[in-house]
Amino acid sequence: MSKKENKNVENSQNTWHQITSENTDRRSALKKITAGLVAGVGIASTSCSVFSEDHEKEASQMSWDEFFKKNYKIMSDEERVQTIQRLESLYEKKTGNTINISHQGPMEDVLYGYVFNISKCQGYMDCVNACIEENNQDRDSQMQYIRIHQIEKGHGFNFEKAEDNYYNEVPANNHFYIGTQCFHCENPPCVSVCPTEATWKEKDGIVVVDYDWCIGCRYCSASCPYDGRRFNWGQPHVPEEEVNKNQHYLGNRLRKKGVMEKCTFCIQRSRSGQNPACVDACPTGARKFGNLLDPKSEIRWILENKKVFRLKEDLGTEPKFWYYMD
Amino acid sequence: MNNYIKIISLSFLVGLVSCSSNQEKENHKYHGVIEKIKDLEKDSITYAVNSTDLVENMQLISVETKEVSFFIPERKSKIKSFQCSECHTKSIPELKFKNLTAKKAHWNIELNHATSEVLTCNSCHPTQNLNHLKSNLNAEIDFNQSYKVCAQCHSSEYKDWLGGAHGKRLGGWINPRIAATCVDCHNPHSPKFESRFPSRLNTKKIEERR
Repeated sequence: MSKKENKNVENSQNTWHQITSENTDRRSALKKITAGLVAGVGIASTSCSVFSEDHEKEASQMSWDEFFKKNYKIMSDEERVQTIQRLESLYEKKTGNTINISHQGPMEDVLYGYVFNISKCQGYMDCVNACIEENNQDRDSQMQYIRIHQIEKGHGFNFEKAEDNYYNEVPANNHFYIGTQCFHCENPPCVSVCPTEATWKEKDGIVVVDYDWCIGCRYCSASCPYDGRRFNWGQPHVPEEEVNKNQHYLGNRLRKKGVMEKCTFCIQRSRSGQNPACVDACPTGARKFGNLLDPKSEIRWILENKKVFRLKEDLGTEPKFWYYMD
Repeated sequence: MNNYIKIISLSFLVGLVSCSSNQEKENHKYHGVIEKIKDLEKDSITYAVNSTDLVENMQLISVETKEVSFFIPERKSKIKSFQCSECHTKSIPELKFKNLTAKKAHWNIELNHATSEVLTCNSCHPTQNLNHLKSNLNAEIDFNQSYKVCAQCHSSEYKDWLGGAHGKRLGGWINPRIAATCVDCHNPHSPKFESRFPSRLNTKKIEERR
């Protein structure tokens, strides 16, 4: 028996021990057993059957472990590595292709911020395309994190008069463009309302979602004043050849039906020093990204030298996403 | 006995108050994100990654002013048939004088930049020694530092570019700063961005809103 299989057996014994242990109270034991029965019957029948092949058993064991894993926030580093290896090999078994899921944590002395120049945005929507490709968003429902609003001049920032699905030559006469997405609030209402702590703010300010702990209640979506969150009403689908294989556990790894997702400032890119895909794709340089804790950064120069504002500042959500004009 | 109960209830109350989550504690510490930034900012931050690793094989030119220093991509190697002197062996007036019947060079360049009263070819290109650009006062400006030519008129854009409000970053957000120079985005002969159709139309949204 290989080392890996040994570990798997050990894990399942642990799980069983947890369920039967006297330390576990009645309520949680019942919960675990019912959940296990419902989800695990199929898996267990394969893994226990004498007829099924070894690799099938391994796969079902993996699915079992995957189902009973912890919230990413409280996983130890070792457990994070284990779940990532599981996800990677499950994907390989399913598609024959390899993916790379990162669990890179926040950098020291970094707080991410974003600024958007409304004088420069021309409404080309190149950012939207780049975002969809980078973040493996569902192609069937045409999900998009970014909205570009085309607003007629003379009405101020009136989003009720804005069109976010225009198809005219841009920039259109007498119109301006303003983009919205998740603003990564310092005081995020979506995090406070989540009943399962499946969404939280990381130390570098990025608000992330653990897709495996999201129960799909959509409280966060209701609480977001900026329409920053997106829900998978159906099974998300990305053609295999279009899947971005360079992924992050808290970012663009593939989602499933019934979970919430949103912009993560391209966590898989930003934590390795790159700009989010939208910033790199913008042909006009209207999008700027950087470290707010670095007084010499471009973003700090903009905050200190341009006239900046945020949307719905009176709510006290403290978005880390500013707008400015030339 | 009475005192004992008091102590217990007091410690219970203290416990209740301190029970709030980490998130709340942090939020109560600062009045807004700007205060947090001012408190946590660091004068020198060392990152594990370097922006030059992110832009492979890019030759860089340094830009130094009193306030900022950063890098821009090298330009000359991207100009088709540079050095110009390989064809321009003589000055423009001489060429014009001697070869009136010669085929017109640079026929494909249309100057769509300001008006002819303000700007002609010779506003930026000298008539002699064409390997350089020139300033309004006929000083030589290297092609790698073409931003100096642009800055003569577009001073507010230049100021914003130096600070970081105008233009585009290359090689990520991380240090050292590498920024596109003017001519990386703007065609100097026709600097305005073209109007076009957006690169996406969300047909599902149209269905949903019908």
